Amino acid sequence: MPVKLDARSLGLAALVVVGLLVPFVVQDTYVRHLFIMAFIYAVVASSWDLSLGYAGIFNFGHVAFFGIGVYATGLTAKLLGLDPWLAMMFGGVAASAAAVLVALPVVRLQGVYVVLVTFAFSQLVLQVVISQSAVTGGTQGLIRVPTIELFGYNFLRDFKFGYYYVAFGMMVVAVACLRWLARSDFGLSIMAMRDNEDYAASRGIPIALQRLKVLVFSAFFAGLAGGFFVVYLRVASPEVFSFSTTSLILSMVLVGGTSTIYGPVIAALVLTFVSEGLANFEGLAEGRFILVAVAMIVVLVFLPKGLASALPKRWGQRAAE
Amino acid sequence: MTLDALSTVLVSGIVLASVYALIASGLSLVWTTLGIFNFAHGALMTLAAYLAWTVSDAAGLGLWLGAGIAIAVAGVVAAGVLIERLIVRPFYDHRDILLITVMTTLAAMIFIEKGSQLIWGARLKQLRPVVPGQVNFLGTTISAQEALIIALAPLLLGLLFLFLRNSRIGRGIRAVGQNPNAAKLIGIDVSRLFIITFALSAALAGLTGILLGSVRMVTPAFGAEPLVKALIIVIFGGLGSLGGTIVAAYLLGLLEAFLIFFIGIYWAPSMIFVLLILILLVRPQGLLGKVVR
Repeated sequence: MPVKLDARSLGLAALVVVGLLVPFVVQDTYVRHLFIMAFIYAVVASSWDLSLGYAGIFNFGHVAFFGIGVYATGLTAKLLGLDPWLAMMFGGVAASAAAVLVALPVVRLQGVYVVLVTFAFSQLVLQVVISQSAVTGGTQGLIRVPTIELFGYNFLRDFKFGYYYVAFGMMVVAVACLRWLARSDFGLSIMAMRDNEDYAASRGIPIALQRLKVLVFSAFFAGLAGGFFVVYLRVASPEVFSFSTTSLILSMVLVGGTSTIYGPVIAALVLTFVSEGLANFEGLAEGRFILVAVAMIVVLVFLPKGLASALPKRWGQRAAE
Repeated sequence: MTLDALSTVLVSGIVLASVYALIASGLSLVWTTLGIFNFAHGALMTLAAYLAWTVSDAAGLGLWLGAGIAIAVAGVVAAGVLIERLIVRPFYDHRDILLITVMTTLAAMIFIEKGSQLIWGARLKQLRPVVPGQVNFLGTTISAQEALIIALAPLLLGLLFLFLRNSRIGRGIRAVGQNPNAAKLIGIDVSRLFIITFALSAALAGLTGILLGSVRMVTPAFGAEPLVKALIIVIFGGLGSLGGTIVAAYLLGLLEAFLIFFIGIYWAPSMIFVLLILILLVRPQGLLGKVVR
């Protein structure tokens, strides 16, 4: 796909430049931390959009892929001494491998059964993590995960300056890949499969194979984000598999608007700042999940195409492109 | 395996199975009638247990347990009707109603779970048992409450069956489940039946929550584990038939008890899931299910 230098690409380039400049303007460690978390969530949410939005697979186990990335990276880095950079990649690969396992039944199932199996899968992974506490730390969580370093550069003493760029870079690369996938012939074929499965099959699209590929691709980015998550925070708990995490990320996909890739990214930024902001008030730490739940319902009832559809028409069209 | 051990495993399996049957049949009822899957079903259990606790526990209002049960069931029925009205009803004509209501009911579940945590806190609570004391059942001593669960489950499910088969409303519910448009044509008030179905299902969830609330500790996530089990059961049993769901619930309860005995409490859930995948590879419509929807 040739790069066109129209207003749209210039706008995107400008956004990337702004993103690159943020750490110079924002000196506060906590605000940088919020940006980093938002970038991680953005990768998980936008990769979920590929399977849920574009391919229309009722995949509710996406957060399990994220969690598998978290634990695969954390465990290989901590116990096997694998270099954390490689361990992050391994997190993505492990999530993809898990996606193959999930795909075995899922590519042949319809509707609610896909929802049920993917949910059950995420609960299974949670059970395994809790039960193997000797290795995974069980409900206590995984602690003292080694972190990344680059040519001797110490990421721990620069007020999250380095982490910001790693997270930002990961997000830009992931979003570019996802967007490219979604607009490629492959992306067209999975949208055809979503909109009219019988017709898509009759035009020669191998439904099961495309579903498998979608799950593998989208799981890879979720796993990669999970890998960075654990390397950055250096701790992880089974909480990453919970219904709360699922609903938080799902709300980002919905609020941003499905089948857009960019939408979930923007929603991840907004919702992370809003919900973390609320968490600072006394007693609102749990309340933010209530807010997330209400936001999901409001968006689904009133703005089914995401918040972008509430913008003035010209904007809305762009966001939906 | 000695006879003693066998009896222990069997009895614990039957207790599990009875709880599962009660929860899963509520889910299955809503599914067969409305074609949606209510993820807030487990959270309704939690809500009922907390309401009953608030009314009846000494640290709460300290009233008679019966009052607690009545208020709790009324409360969850109201919650069930609200769920139907607010987050299911707007999507009846939508092409993707299934997917959307999975999301909205998931949100409702989070809402109830986190709301309970705000109101009642994270500390463990336990309801007083409806019947105190212990009972000998098949050579194993269990609490009278567990015996009550074993006895009540078939009773309630039998009543549900009779209700669906014989009463006017019950027949209406089945008619709507089979073909909502045809039901509407012959003058059935579909909208009213949807509400009744939700109320019935919520009442079942509430009763289960109250029964289980004196066996297990009540926490905000109290209903999450039973919901996941119910989820597995409806896959095993195939959605769409109440009978299949109940058979699957009893099978899974016993299977789980035996797996826990032989391979330990930690590996049992994983084994069940592996079995599930294998079954779905061979029979995508579930072990007992017919090809529907």
